[in-house]
Amino acid sequence: MIYQLSELQRDALQELMNISMGQAANSLARLIGAKITLSIPLISSVTPTEFVDMISSDVMWHTRQSFLGTVKGEVVSLQSHAGCEAIAELMDYELPLSDITREELLLELSNILAGACLNGFAEQLELTTKLSMPTVFEPEKLSPEHYRWAHTLLMEVEFKVESSHFDSKIVICLEAESISTLLSRLNSLLE
Amino acid sequence: MTTLAVLENLTAKLPLGVCVLNEQLEIEYWNDFFADRLNISCDQVKGQNLLTLFPNEAKYLKKKINSVFVLNNASFSYWEHRPHVFLFSSSRPITGEETLMYQNIEFIPLHVSNNVVKTVCMIVQDVTELASYYQGKKQLSEELAQEHSALLALNTKLEAAQNQLLQADKMAAIGQLAAGVAHEINNPIGFIHSNLQSLQDYSTKLLNLISFYEKVVNKTQNKTFMALQQEMQDRSQYSFLREDMPELINESITGIDRVTDIIKNLKVFSHVDSSEWQHANIIEGIENTLKIANSQLKYNVEVHREFQQPLPALFCQPMQLNQVFLNLIVNSAQAIDGKGHIYIKVSASSTALVIEIKDTGCGISESAQRKIFEPFYTTKPVGQGTGLGLSLSYSIVQKHKGSIVVSSELDVGTTFIITLPLLTPGDLETPS
Repeated sequence: MIYQLSELQRDALQELMNISMGQAANSLARLIGAKITLSIPLISSVTPTEFVDMISSDVMWHTRQSFLGTVKGEVVSLQSHAGCEAIAELMDYELPLSDITREELLLELSNILAGACLNGFAEQLELTTKLSMPTVFEPEKLSPEHYRWAHTLLMEVEFKVESSHFDSKIVICLEAESISTLLSRLNSLLE
Repeated sequence: MTTLAVLENLTAKLPLGVCVLNEQLEIEYWNDFFADRLNISCDQVKGQNLLTLFPNEAKYLKKKINSVFVLNNASFSYWEHRPHVFLFSSSRPITGEETLMYQNIEFIPLHVSNNVVKTVCMIVQDVTELASYYQGKKQLSEELAQEHSALLALNTKLEAAQNQLLQADKMAAIGQLAAGVAHEINNPIGFIHSNLQSLQDYSTKLLNLISFYEKVVNKTQNKTFMALQQEMQDRSQYSFLREDMPELINESITGIDRVTDIIKNLKVFSHVDSSEWQHANIIEGIENTLKIANSQLKYNVEVHREFQQPLPALFCQPMQLNQVFLNLIVNSAQAIDGKGHIYIKVSASSTALVIEIKDTGCGISESAQRKIFEPFYTTKPVGQGTGLGLSLSYSIVQKHKGSIVVSSELDVGTTFIITLPLLTPGDLETPS
């Protein structure tokens, strides 16, 4: 199934994302007390191969976190190796980071960003969804041939912490059924 | 049953720790999971501060719970990072090896009004089983990885050893071939040599004869005969022939002598009768060896000899000892890059001979020095060294009840000192 979003739907979704991502950035800024810049949210439909290409990167750490509710899916986060230590310092971690504390930091960060993005987004569309525990994710082990889906709707946004060159990307991936739920909510909102 | 009763029953039996906290981090409720383990009932604990109750982890708990209050977003704690936030004893006190419970903890905003979190619920999950399984697996995979790398190293070593063996085989085959060829060539060389000597004798006689005839013709004063003789001599370029012929024969004899020498040396080194014990002059052996090694030495290496005279004859296997000298001298020559010197010193005491071979080569690193006498150890490129030379030398010297020691300094040079005791045939229990 290919979901062809209309211009109007895309704009609306982008606006919603913008608001929720703004909240996410605000959350992070409050927590670490540093200025955060946001990219314009990107909305796209991708195939498994495109998905793997998009998230594969060896200069980023990856986490994943599933969510359940009226919409289901996964949030994948990409966080740059660069600037990690600086963020750790802002978040009151002991330096230097060990493998374990670094993992803890990445999971905490991705949980905060994913939670804020998804909650804001769900709230505006009056959807309920709950995130589970994030886990570390190694996309090198992915093989797109094994995926059971043909297309997924991605909503991604980039957060940058300017003072520390830290860069993080949150990608919300929706399951096929949830896409129709999302679209019908979007339509009723647009009417 | 009312819903409340059901819920109370449920939370009491839940295999999870549930604890509800207000904004002051005061405990509003906890279930039997906490109550049973800490022996503090829900009623007793109500209103107590979580951080004073668990001072060891206060900082961490405060940070985690505050972030839930501030961000209205669930937070998690993992056993991999913080295995024992609450010091509960293991859920397997009898059969388990763990003494403390491994925990995953979720901190979730429970009561939220107007986007402000009023209470936070802490859910503790016992994951001891999972953690110990996971740790066991991790240890196993580490062991496997270790074994794997050990096997790989062993494989490479085996492969190297096999290569060296092949190389050693090849060298042995070449040695045999050389011995065979030397033997075959020996006969023709023999008659060429004696023929050349006869030829030298005959040619001298022939030239003398011609000189005699010349004198006879000249005596006759017969112009015609003399002119004829002159013409014949001119035509066959006799004056040049007379000068050149003895030289040619001399050169040939020298050449064939050299060939004979090489063949002799080849035979000496092709292990034919090489294990025979006899009284021998070490100096002779060294000189023979130097001749053999000459091709490696003559361009860039100057050999200095310092031989104490007279030396007692040594009861030994001379050919085997020559092999030792050859290995050391060739190694020294190969260690010298550009111009260099090899000093060979032989001295004797009343009980032993000491042979010292010193070079001005590149030297041997300390770590390599420990290994040079090991079989198949070589620092030469594949195909150049068998790694057998020094180990063979070592075993030969041992057979002579002697010792061989090395001292070396990088970029300065290397000295090998061989000490050979003066044995008598009776000293050898099992002369081979």
